[in-house]
Amino acid sequence: MDEKKLLPAPIKTTRREFIKAAGLASTVLALPTFIPASALGRDGAIAPSERIRVGGIGLGNQGGSDFGGFLGRAEVQYLAVCDVRKNVRDAKKAQVDERYKNKDCAAYNDFRELLARTDIDAVHVATPDHWHALIVTEACRHGKDVFCQKPETLTLREGPPMVEYARRYGRVVSGGSQRVLEDYRGTVDMCWSGKLGQVLAINVQTNNLSHACNLPPEPVPEGFDWEMWLGPAPWAPFNAKRCDGNFSTVENSWRSYWDYSGGEITDWGAHHFGGATFAVDVRELQPQEVIYHAPEGTQRAFLEFVYPNGIRITHCKPGKANLEVDSNESVTRAPKPVPGYKGKGGIIGDFLYCVRTREKPFRDIELAVNTMSLCHLGTIAYHLQRSLKWDAAKQTFPGDTEANRFTDRARRQPWQL
Amino acid sequence: MLEQSFEALKTYDWGVDRHVLDPIDEAVVKTRNDAAARKELESQLLAVLQSNAPRDAKDFVCRQLRTMGTAASVPALEQLLANAELSHMARYALERIPEPQAGQALERQLAKLNGQLKIGVISSLGTRGQGVRLLRPLLRDSDEAVARAAAIALGRIASADANKALGSARPRPALAVVLADASMACAEKLLAAGHAKEAKATYQRLLKNNPPELVRLAAERGLKACPTA
Repeated sequence: MDEKKLLPAPIKTTRREFIKAAGLASTVLALPTFIPASALGRDGAIAPSERIRVGGIGLGNQGGSDFGGFLGRAEVQYLAVCDVRKNVRDAKKAQVDERYKNKDCAAYNDFRELLARTDIDAVHVATPDHWHALIVTEACRHGKDVFCQKPETLTLREGPPMVEYARRYGRVVSGGSQRVLEDYRGTVDMCWSGKLGQVLAINVQTNNLSHACNLPPEPVPEGFDWEMWLGPAPWAPFNAKRCDGNFSTVENSWRSYWDYSGGEITDWGAHHFGGATFAVDVRELQPQEVIYHAPEGTQRAFLEFVYPNGIRITHCKPGKANLEVDSNESVTRAPKPVPGYKGKGGIIGDFLYCVRTREKPFRDIELAVNTMSLCHLGTIAYHLQRSLKWDAAKQTFPGDTEANRFTDRARRQPWQL
Repeated sequence: MLEQSFEALKTYDWGVDRHVLDPIDEAVVKTRNDAAARKELESQLLAVLQSNAPRDAKDFVCRQLRTMGTAASVPALEQLLANAELSHMARYALERIPEPQAGQALERQLAKLNGQLKIGVISSLGTRGQGVRLLRPLLRDSDEAVARAAAIALGRIASADANKALGSARPRPALAVVLADASMACAEKLLAAGHAKEAKATYQRLLKNNPPELVRLAAERGLKACPTA
């Protein structure tokens, strides 16, 4: 029996309305009853007991960069590192110990042990994408604030629980694209200043989607917990290229492969679409339609996302540059103040500031999820080679059983979202 | 090309050029509006699934069936749920096949499986939004991991019945946070569906039992979201 049918109709309140009713969608997240001593800064030097106590999960490549960003901050006391590669976690532990001139940094293979610690206030997460939703929701359930690298989700279905967990537990959860504000500020300023008049559309350029991986088996390196690296993803034999964290999306990194990443449309899409949605001010929305254009001849297909307010975002539209804006300059638009980072020190500084103040960070998880949903909708349209309708409130393709199959993937046991 | 691709699939294993299977990928998309061609394609895929083909070949088949499998695929996939190597990929397909037969297969196998494979099936039932009657007794399972999985699945289903099942679960200290978390997921969904009374009662129930600090704060926040009238 389908238990969902037992729920009496009609639906009177959307999830978004619930969040608003709870006062959780305001700019300030609910304050915890106690503010950790570590989150109360003072002038001048910050005593270790007053710093934000941080742990890091997934510390290679981009995770290594985030690690440096957190470790270098005066208001941070770095307590623990976690990586499924012993050589990586040992190296990071050594760096932490060197900074504090002690041996106190704990090193974990399993993120659940790190999250179970009650003396850690916040974690940064930079695992491959297939782990993000599981770790972020589990971190919230343990009362941690989270800085999660982009792409924050691997599937459409992963987004709503990440937002719900953040709101349920009153957590500060920030996505990790620094480029949204820092790379596209010029375009954003032009749009928000009113100089372009009525903004109609913006184009985004990214390259290839991810694809299947069939690399040959190789011996698992000593100290590499391959089962844990795979986690919820389908089992596959170890191959160094399969799990390399370099930034390429062509055959030699996990970013190239379907089980762990959406490829460039999500990896760079998190940045570019994030900047585009910011510029045309639809960060709080999701598209209602994706139009698949398949031009005659050799021209590649491109997409057109249609928002409920009429704004259009195109992907790889022929003749258009990345973040090229179409507008009607004859329509007058009043300038609006452009939101930015709070605090100092880029996106990590913004997150740490919000950990102290309980405000929403610049790339609040809900905004990040909206951007990622755009990327996933695009991926599905390209896979199916057709247009799609999307009901953002219900998170479904109405009446489209074929597309609805793509909203999620079964996770390998015992992992469960 | 398609014929050659199916021939290659019979011995497909890790390390083989993945492009040899591209024609099958393409056929799955192109036959969308051709029921007979789809049926033939599904039949060819199932033949591989039921053969002695390598694990990688069957992995590929399950991925295709996730996209286009029908009730006809369910018996072969159901058989694989007890196979430690292929159980996940069988669920990879079954979880996304919309026909009720797929869910019925998961329900049938639930009682027959143990440990991790059982947890996988529990997870898939939660994702499909079904099986409350079967999941409810698992909250008392002697395997704590199974009980935990059942709680998470019920929170995922988040129906009125799922909420009742969670509310009647025997207190179990190791699972207190997970059970409360699942109950709050139910309360949120019930409130969103206009059942404020049930949502409020759920939060009040959680607050009555001296919950851990995090749960208390979350439940108080949820209670605040419920209308006062």
